[in-house]
Amino acid sequence: MTLRADRLRVRVGAATLLDAITLAARPGEVLALIGPSGAGKTTLLRAWSGELRPTAGAVTLAGVPLAAIDPRALARARAVLPQQASLRFPLTALEVVLLGRLPHPSRGESAADLAIAGEALALAEADHLAERLASTLSGGEQQRVQLARAFAQIWEPTPAQAQRVLLLDEPTASLDPGHAARILGRVRRFARATRAAVVVAIHDLNAGARCADRLALLDGGRVVAHGRPAAVLTPARLGRCFGAAFDLFTAADGGFAVHPRLLADETDETYEPWKTP
Amino acid sequence: MSAAWRAPTRRLRPRVVLGGLALVVVVAALVELSVGAATIDVPQHLRCLAGEATGCAAGERYILLSLRLPRTLVAAVVGCGLAVSGAAMQGLFRNPLADPGLIGVSSGAALGAGVAIALEAGAELLPFGLTLPALAFAGGLAATCLVHRLAQVRGQTSVTSLLLAGIAVSALAGAVIGLLGYIADDQQLRDLSMWLLGGLGGASGDVLLVLVPTVAIACALLWRRARALDALMLGEAEAFHLGVDVERLRRRVVAEVALAVGACVAFTGVIGFVGLVVPHLLRGVVGPRHRLLLPAAGLGGAALLLLADAAARTVLAPAELPVGILTALLGAPVFLSLLARARAAEVA
Amino acid sequence: MPSSLLSSFVLAVGLAAATACGASSTAPAEAAPAEAAADDAPVARPARIVALGGPVTETLFALGAGSRVVGVDLSSLHPEAATRLPRVGYYRQFSAEGVLSLRPDVVIASDQAGPPAALEHLRASGVPVLEIPAADDLNDARANLEAIAAAAGVDAAEALRLRARLERDLEGAQTLLRRARSRPRVLFVYARGPGRLLVGGRGTPMAELIALAGADNAGAAIEGMRPWSAEAVIDAAPEIVLLPSRGLDSVGGEAGLLALPGLAQTPAGRERRIVAIDDLKLLGFGPRIGEGLRELVVGLHPEVAEGPT
Repeated sequence: MTLRADRLRVRVGAATLLDAITLAARPGEVLALIGPSGAGKTTLLRAWSGELRPTAGAVTLAGVPLAAIDPRALARARAVLPQQASLRFPLTALEVVLLGRLPHPSRGESAADLAIAGEALALAEADHLAERLASTLSGGEQQRVQLARAFAQIWEPTPAQAQRVLLLDEPTASLDPGHAARILGRVRRFARATRAAVVVAIHDLNAGARCADRLALLDGGRVVAHGRPAAVLTPARLGRCFGAAFDLFTAADGGFAVHPRLLADETDETYEPWKTP
Repeated sequence: MSAAWRAPTRRLRPRVVLGGLALVVVVAALVELSVGAATIDVPQHLRCLAGEATGCAAGERYILLSLRLPRTLVAAVVGCGLAVSGAAMQGLFRNPLADPGLIGVSSGAALGAGVAIALEAGAELLPFGLTLPALAFAGGLAATCLVHRLAQVRGQTSVTSLLLAGIAVSALAGAVIGLLGYIADDQQLRDLSMWLLGGLGGASGDVLLVLVPTVAIACALLWRRARALDALMLGEAEAFHLGVDVERLRRRVVAEVALAVGACVAFTGVIGFVGLVVPHLLRGVVGPRHRLLLPAAGLGGAALLLLADAAARTVLAPAELPVGILTALLGAPVFLSLLARARAAEVA
Repeated sequence: MPSSLLSSFVLAVGLAAATACGASSTAPAEAAPAEAAADDAPVARPARIVALGGPVTETLFALGAGSRVVGVDLSSLHPEAATRLPRVGYYRQFSAEGVLSLRPDVVIASDQAGPPAALEHLRASGVPVLEIPAADDLNDARANLEAIAAAAGVDAAEALRLRARLERDLEGAQTLLRRARSRPRVLFVYARGPGRLLVGGRGTPMAELIALAGADNAGAAIEGMRPWSAEAVIDAAPEIVLLPSRGLDSVGGEAGLLALPGLAQTPAGRERRIVAIDDLKLLGFGPRIGEGLRELVVGLHPEVAEGPT
């Protein structure tokens, strides 16, 4: 009962966006996708959501190719938080969250749906925004509302699909550190409690390391490292991938953090393309 | 976490909105029935029809039952069809300023009408009264098919390619209409321009026989797309994530809008702005969710066209103004103010 | 908030409707066919006539039936009295209810009048409709005069008087024409503002008029009214340019016309031979066709005006 990519390749036009990806998101676990911009994190999420068809290889949920699953049945089991949501219609935050209930038989129109939407908003710390027009909210508020929608979509297991999948693309990009920490903690608890397979594409290496059970480091459309956070985030590997020097800091409770050094600390002091007086 | 949750209070309750709009439609229909070039005591005639009174002039009865009544029904059906189509198109294009004409159906229908008028084509096949609507309807559907075909890239359409194909096909239809105008004599030219202005003068029982089922079926089918259109408000990828087959939805909505608008345009000519302005205005009242917006737009469109036609039939009586001129006169300023407001919101 | 304003307005209208028309909201469900059988035989002397088409209106007034005309269409521009009557729209696009609201005993319409559905409505409601064929020549003009006189129930004497005047005018035109020594090439142009020059070809009423006035149509290379290029106009080499007086105004008079590309390079342009005609008199082949034709003969053959007429 796993979301799996098996020797997955995705080409769009002449560009190969993903190649030879073999990776699984397991029930009850959080998998974080990290890597430099353009490494293929979002593309992998899109392939795993069923939105992008594999050029080669396979994407399966519980052994069934995604393309073979009815879109609505799939939607009852799999929710996606987009990196950026654009809303040109005057929906309230609550209405946006209720749209998450659309794939279910009650179509988001029952009292139960309303209750779920409310709880999902609270889970995403957005319940005070329920009556506001979503388009008037700040970036961070909109992101929490969208997250609540994703939670509401897979709030309960469905008879047909006991497995649930949550795909989050940069869930903390616009959040302040407090919100980010609490929300990632809840995502982790959601995975544990519901046995959902959770995949988080995330830029913040330390946040990814904190919330995920496993990290997959992507670079150039391939998985270059995969495993427990401490095993993946070695300064040497990060230096190769990101083109900067990293320091590893260890905390008293066993936690750790990696930080890149500023470029100016390096030997690169002669690099001055701008005009000096 | 488990606070008591209730429906958004910002909006009116659906039943109140739809009930209110239905009453407006009834009033508008009574206005349309009551006013006109001829002065008719409508309540008296209703009593005559009910057998409670006698002595109603047959001529007046004819005007009431054979001219105004079919016209009232046609105005309601066409207004409804155009506004529902407009609401669906705005949902499909995810743009509150979209218009049912975007997919080429109106310009295609205009071309069909132009062929019927300028070439007097098919006059032998059907009585002339039917040739024009038939050719206009066929033209509208053919243009929409062409737009959809042109917009397909590797089996996929996109909103942008639909829009561009719509513009291209409309331009092509415009060019051919220009050519027909060159061939046409002065009177045909005048007929064509009158047709393009839109009018409900052709209303009759026969027209209703074709129009009512076509528009009803198309609107019922569009109503079934309401939830998918709701999901589409979040974006195309998001709609897919919510279980919507976006490509299929697009194909169906385009076909259903072409059916409704094609039928309306075929019998009445091009009546602008109803499909653009009515859904846009009502979205502010009932919210953007299509389960409520589509029926509200249908009622609002019917009421607007009824009132516009009542005005069109009275301002120059005993002559009448093409109702398309009136809807454009009313709609264009509303549209411009909406545009200005949208831009102000962007700047803010 | 504007949306709540709008919604309360909607509500208010709805409530007003509920109270105002509770009883009458049950509108009749279907249109019953008219009782009166369609009967195209007009009443002997209709008291209320609606005329659709300029020549029809003009003929009715010339027959002395103008006082019984209660409505006309937008193309009825002559005589002046007709323009003060209620207008039911352009005759190709008239409003059935508009005509019926004038309670006509008979509708006399050009056969170009429409839309067909509106004519059907008139007949179905029991109003006799007489369609007058579009006149393309003098025989049509005579026949239409008779038909309109009969439909309007005009005294035979009155009809004869108008007919006699028509024949006298036509005879006058013929007499003048016998004195003509020239047969000019004439191009009929319909200038609707700069840049749109329509030329009268074969099969048009203008071609018929040019022939009746003893001249050759320089536009005979084409059929119908068509826009022409400057080159084609030069190539046709007309000696006289003929146009409706209203068209001459729209291009800014004689100077404006000659400034149009091509015209100045024709023999007509070089010698400034431009003849403006009253299109209302001539183009509909109405009752003043004889008078118009006489003026046209004089215009195209200036030599005939030298002697007594």
